[in-house]
Amino acid sequence: MIVLRLITVVFTLFVLLPLAWLVYAAFIPPEALINASLVTPGVSLENLAALPGSGLGRAMGVSLAATGMVVVLQLATGLGAAYATRAGLPLTALVLVLLAVPTELLLVPLYRLLQGLGLTDTFAALTLPFAASPLVVFLLMSAIRRVPWSLVEAARLDGAGEGTIVARVVAPTLRPELLATGVLAFAAHWNLVLYPRVMTTESLWTVQAFLVDLLRTRPFEWGLLGAAALVASLPILVLYVVFERRIVTVFERGFRAY
Amino acid sequence: MPTRRAQPLPRALVTGLLAFPALAAFGVFTFTPLAAVVRYAGWEWTGTSQPQPVGFANIAALARDADLWASLGVTIAFAAIVLPAFLGLSFAIAFALEGLQIERLIKAVLFAPGLVTVAGSAIAWFLLYDPNFGLVVDLTGLALPWTTQGWAALVYVALFTLWQQTGYGVLIASAALKGVPAGVKEAARLDGASEDQVRRWVVLPLLRPTATFLVVVGTVFALQSYTAVYLLTRGGPLGSTRVLGYYLYETAFERFNLGYASALTLFVLVVAFAVAATQARLLSDRRAAP
Repeated sequence: MIVLRLITVVFTLFVLLPLAWLVYAAFIPPEALINASLVTPGVSLENLAALPGSGLGRAMGVSLAATGMVVVLQLATGLGAAYATRAGLPLTALVLVLLAVPTELLLVPLYRLLQGLGLTDTFAALTLPFAASPLVVFLLMSAIRRVPWSLVEAARLDGAGEGTIVARVVAPTLRPELLATGVLAFAAHWNLVLYPRVMTTESLWTVQAFLVDLLRTRPFEWGLLGAAALVASLPILVLYVVFERRIVTVFERGFRAY
Repeated sequence: MPTRRAQPLPRALVTGLLAFPALAAFGVFTFTPLAAVVRYAGWEWTGTSQPQPVGFANIAALARDADLWASLGVTIAFAAIVLPAFLGLSFAIAFALEGLQIERLIKAVLFAPGLVTVAGSAIAWFLLYDPNFGLVVDLTGLALPWTTQGWAALVYVALFTLWQQTGYGVLIASAALKGVPAGVKEAARLDGASEDQVRRWVVLPLLRPTATFLVVVGTVFALQSYTAVYLLTRGGPLGSTRVLGYYLYETAFERFNLGYASALTLFVLVVAFAVAATQARLLSDRRAAP
C-alpha cells in the first residue's frame, strides 16, 4: 500500500508540473530569458500584453464559434438518436462499430469529399462533418436509460408528439448529462489538430493551428508562448472547474453501464 | 422495450425521424469516405491534380514499403510502452486513493490534462523538457535526449500520452473498485486475510473485466497517438516516433501523395478493425465472466 501511495504521489506531481508551468510560464519576466535562467523569480504581465495583435484572438474566435456550433449539433443529433434507441430503434451495434472507426484517419477521403462539395477552407468544413459523434450518442444512450419511461408514456397519453417529448420531457431530465457530455464534446473538437490544419488555411486557423505555428515560428519567445498557451486553455479550464463533478460522474456512469 | 411492435406506425416513423440527422451525418461523413477510400487507393493523385487511375499499383507498393513496416513497428513499440503503464497506473492510483479525503481532488487533477488545449500542453512540455534549454535541465541537469535519440523520443511521446490519458483510466478503475461488494471483502477478512491479501486475492480478480476494458481504451489511445507525435516530435528523430497515423498524414499532406495515402488508410483501417474485433471478443468474454 505504501508503494501504491508513493506511485500516486509521484504521478500526481508529474501531472501537476506541466499544468503549474503552463500557468507560470505566462508570467515569466522577460529578464529571466535574457539571463538565460528560468529560475529568476518574479511575475510580469508583459507576455499577456503582447498577445493582442498576434492573431490569437482571431483563432480563438474561430475555435469558439466552430466548437460551440459542433457541441450544439452533436447534442441535438445525439439526443434524437438516443431517444429513438430507447424507443426501440436498434442502433446500439451501429454506434459501437462507429466508435471503433478512427474518424480522423479518414482525412484523405474526407478531404476529397469536402473538395467535391466546394467546402474546403470554409467554416462548414470545421463543423459539418462533426454534426454527429458516436461518443456523444453512446454517452446519451446510457444516460437516457435513467429517464423513467412512465414520464414519456404519460406525455404521450396527454397527446404530446415525440419531438415535444424529447424537447420538453427528456432534455430537461437529462440536463446534467447533457452539460457534462457537452463539455467532453467541446474538448474533443477544440483539441483537433491535424484535421483543421488539412482542411483550412490561415484565415480559418483554429487555436491549435495557431499555437502550432507560433511554436514553429517563434520557438524562443517563451513568455509569449506560455501566455498564448494559457489563454488558449482558459475556455476549457473554466468549463472544467465549473462542471468538474458532473463530468466525472457522467463519465464514470457512462462507461460503467457499458 | 416490448411495447414497440404494438405502436402505431406514425409514432415509429417519427421516432425514426429523430434519429435521422445523426444517421445522415454518419452516412455522409463516415461511411461515404470509408467506401470511397477504396476507389482513391487506385489513383495517382496529389490532391490538386486530376486523379490518374493506376490500378493496384498503390496496394502492391504497400508490401514493399519499408517505411510502412518500420512505422507499424513503432506503433507496436509505442503500445507496448503505454498499455502496461496505463493499466498499472490506473489500478495502483485507484487503490491508493480509495476512501481518502482528497480522492476527489486528486482525480480532478489527474483528469484535467485530457481537457487542456492540447497544443498548449505541447508548448508547456517543450518549455519544461527541452533537453537544451528546458526548466528541468536548467534546474537539475537531467534531460531526456528526445531530440536526438530515437528511444528517448518514443518514451517522451509515451509519457505525454500517459500524462494526458491516465486520468480516464483512474476514473474507470476507481468506479469499478467502488462496485466491489463490501460483503465479499468482509468475508475474506473474517477468514483471517490481511488487507494486502484481500486486495491481491479477492478484489483484483473481480476487477479483471475492468482491466479488459482499460486495455481496449488504452489501445484506442495508442492508435490515436499521431496528434501527440505531430505536436512533439514530427515523427523524428529519423522516423523513430513515426506511428501509423502520422505516417499516413505525412504521406498525404506533406508529400502530397494522396493516392498512396488512401492505400495506407485501407491498411490502417484493416489494422484498426482487427484490433477492434479482438477487443469485441475480449469484451464479450468479459460479459460471460462472473
